Amino acid sequence: MSKRRPVVAIVDDDPRLLESLEDLLESAGYVARSFSSPGALLVSGLSGLDMLITDIGMPGMDGFELRDLVKKARPDLPVFLITGRHEIVDQHRAKGIGGLFCKPFDGQALLAAIGDALRNPKTEPKHDS
Amino acid sequence: MTIAPNSLGETDSNATLALTHDLDRSGPGSGRPFATNEPGLIRGNMISDLERGRLSRVWSHRPQFLHLGLFITAYVLGCGFAQSLAIIPGTGISIWPPSGLFIATLVFASRYSWPWWVLGACVAELFSNFLWFHTPLPAAFLIFAGNALEAVTGAWLVNQTCKRPVRLETLRDVLAFVVLAAGVAPVASATVGSAALAWFGIQSQSFATAWPLWWIGDATGVLIVAPLALVVFQNWRGKAQLSAARWMEACVLGLIFLGIAALSLSGYLPFAYIIMPPLLWAAVRFEFRGAAVALTVLALITAVFTISGASQFAGDPESQKHNQIMLQLFLGISAFSALVVAAISRQHQAAVLTLRESLEALRDRERELSQLVDMVPSHVWRLTPDGEPTFFNKRMVDFLGLDVTDLDKQGIGRLAAMIAATVHPDDAAAFGDTLSHCLATGERFSMRYRLRRADGVYHWMSSRAEPMRDHAGLIVQWYGLCHDIDDQMQAEEALRRSELQLQQMIDAVPVRIWSAVPTGGPVYFNKRYQDHFRAVIANVERLREPRIEELLQELVHPEDAPEVLRTLLTCFETGGGSAMRFRWREKDGYRWAECRVEPRRDEDGAVVQWYGVSLDIDEEVRAREALRQASDKLAQATQAASLAELSASIAHEVNQPLAAIVANSHACHRWLGAVPPNVERAKITAERIIRDANSAADVVGRIRALFKQSTETRTNGALSSVIAEARDLVTEEAMRRGVRISVDVESDIPLVALDRVQIQQVLVNLIRNGMEAMDSGADDGVISIRVRPIGDVVQTEVRDRGRGVEFPDRIFEPFFTTKEQGMGMGLAICRSIIESHSGRLWVEKNEPRGATFIFTLPVEMEAAS
Repeated sequence: MSKRRPVVAIVDDDPRLLESLEDLLESAGYVARSFSSPGALLVSGLSGLDMLITDIGMPGMDGFELRDLVKKARPDLPVFLITGRHEIVDQHRAKGIGGLFCKPFDGQALLAAIGDALRNPKTEPKHDS
Repeated sequence: MTIAPNSLGETDSNATLALTHDLDRSGPGSGRPFATNEPGLIRGNMISDLERGRLSRVWSHRPQFLHLGLFITAYVLGCGFAQSLAIIPGTGISIWPPSGLFIATLVFASRYSWPWWVLGACVAELFSNFLWFHTPLPAAFLIFAGNALEAVTGAWLVNQTCKRPVRLETLRDVLAFVVLAAGVAPVASATVGSAALAWFGIQSQSFATAWPLWWIGDATGVLIVAPLALVVFQNWRGKAQLSAARWMEACVLGLIFLGIAALSLSGYLPFAYIIMPPLLWAAVRFEFRGAAVALTVLALITAVFTISGASQFAGDPESQKHNQIMLQLFLGISAFSALVVAAISRQHQAAVLTLRESLEALRDRERELSQLVDMVPSHVWRLTPDGEPTFFNKRMVDFLGLDVTDLDKQGIGRLAAMIAATVHPDDAAAFGDTLSHCLATGERFSMRYRLRRADGVYHWMSSRAEPMRDHAGLIVQWYGLCHDIDDQMQAEEALRRSELQLQQMIDAVPVRIWSAVPTGGPVYFNKRYQDHFRAVIANVERLREPRIEELLQELVHPEDAPEVLRTLLTCFETGGGSAMRFRWREKDGYRWAECRVEPRRDEDGAVVQWYGVSLDIDEEVRAREALRQASDKLAQATQAASLAELSASIAHEVNQPLAAIVANSHACHRWLGAVPPNVERAKITAERIIRDANSAADVVGRIRALFKQSTETRTNGALSSVIAEARDLVTEEAMRRGVRISVDVESDIPLVALDRVQIQQVLVNLIRNGMEAMDSGADDGVISIRVRPIGDVVQTEVRDRGRGVEFPDRIFEPFFTTKEQGMGMGLAICRSIIESHSGRLWVEKNEPRGATFIFTLPVEMEAAS
């Protein structure tokens, strides 16, 4: 509560989810910036962002591509992926890739993970809710 | 004498020919016969053509001079004979042979030659008068005129009465000759001659006393000489046809005749008429010729004895006249009797000959008939009224190897023997009974039976017999005719066998067969059919002549019967065949059958007979049903697999609102848990939770509707109205996105069976896909929807001008469909829906850009048919 509030960007093609995530993050004291597509995020720019949460399945560029792109420009920026497709999550967790959340995700767990990632950006989140 | 019969003159017809010939050649010319000798021609036209013709005819008919000379000589000799026989010398009244010679000659000669013979006779008589009679020339000429008149009259009458040539071989001819030539003709001679004697006072004869003597003399002369002369004329060139025995008989007869004549006429025998038996013998045995010769001989002997005075006809002058008459009467009666008997004998001989010839002819006929009977290619037999065989023709004898006489056995009759020996044992009793019945009643016999051939082989025979009755109606004979019909019977038997085989085959094949006449009435059902009837229809006999309707009602499944009846009636009406499937009622339920009906036509194309065959296909139908059910299960399984694939999409659809709800719930909880609680934000968040939960419920509801397994919702609908509804649903979104939607539906689109909601969803999904594809960059977005019928499907195309489809093969996989926002429907679901409508959904690339999603729906076939 001392310094400025962290800024979290959300990318999802479902406006209802964008809305609900924005509400959740704001209730936790974050600044939420919503984008309906990766393109919109990239146009807006990555500067000033502390965190990125993106959906995987989207028209055009999907979540993995966006993450890879963002990691090149901001390797320090923590990126969380969310998806409604459980089989995708299962697939990637088997490969040991972290930062994956299944819809519907546990709000507390997500906020805890965001908090961890912002406090210690070097470490990958390990939760699995 | 060497007078040839035909040389005496030519026939009338020849004469007529000659006359015609001359008349035709009336003008002068060379080469005409006798022309130079004709006085008429020499003297010019002083005589008429007719006279000239007659003269020339007479001239041309002149007899040969040799014949004329012989005639004159014989005439003179005859006169000499008369003179020598004249009891009163100088009178010339006695038997007068020249009269016979004269008449016979004229009878035999052509009438046109008569003047020549008359001339010859005149010469001969005048010469004889000069030699013996010494009558004054006028008287002699007058007497000759009488003789000539007699000869001409007699010859003319005989020729008129008897048929030519005169042969005196019938009684009629002889009587005519006797009456006319010997009775009537001498009247002329006697009258003229007696008148001449009386006129000239020759020999102091009065007309009354001379006339009978003259008449009887001429008559006797005619009777004795004329037959001989005719015989000589007719047989001059004829060969002797007598056998040695006949010659012997002739010689013996001649000796006896001469002996008796000599003895009787010389007075050793008391009575001159004792000569009659040998005379008649000659007449009977040698006929006319014998009579003529015998009479001549008798006349000569009589003459000789009379001249020598040894005859009983000789005597003192008082009795001479009487004797003269007696002699002539004797000769006349003898001649008359001999000629009559000869004619009768001749007639008898002719009759005997005719009879013999008739007999011969009869025998020939009989032989011919017998050959005919033997040649008939059948057996001909004859029975007595009692039934005993009396005749078999040759063929029958050859066939049986025995004749009727072979049937004569001890103890049994011929008929019984014949039946036992020849008729097949199986037929023998019937044959015997039938024949006995016919014999008893006189009815015609007709029967077929087997007859044993000589080699022991039995042949089928068709036998008939009829009785022949006499005038009284009594049966005289039975005549029978018997044909070999073995080949025919064999053929009939073969035909029967073949028919039986065919029948057995028809009964054996596992189909039901019927046939009917064109009017439609059933006429034949094979055994399987009849068994079927008996099995299904209670007391089938009550249906004597079942009608088709009745049968169908009884035999066919009630649901199928009307259709079957309709099909059959259509066949009968149109003359076309048909095939149909229906269920027969069987003893234990219904069975499927296929029935085919075909007509048989004659050359004119008219239906002669209807044939139907019914084949049990129950097992095939049931197998097919089982297969169809298996296929349906497979389809369901396929659908289930497709659903499994789709579950991922469904999860996504549900998880999306769920995720929002969960996040909002946490946010709401935080807003309320803050110090102080941010009730305003919590309230907003709670409202969002409610909204999203409803949205999730909607999704679940839609999914439920999507996979509801019901075809009841499918209706026959026009695709155009479904498209219009879908367009309405996306119009607002399209306006927001700046996309124009054009719809092009061809007219006359057939109806399709569809679930309106599902197809609507497919359309909305495809349209939205298209609009989303055009979001990036394209400023003039157009979605073109086109509907057209292709074959038996209706094809709908949704075309966009977007970025196109990168992986058209994978686009329908669930993974690639996760980009929807509102409705949450993937292309996989679209495909699933279309396929559940028996349609197809695929994507094609557009040129230069964009994609076209195409789906087809089958035309509603039931509605179409």
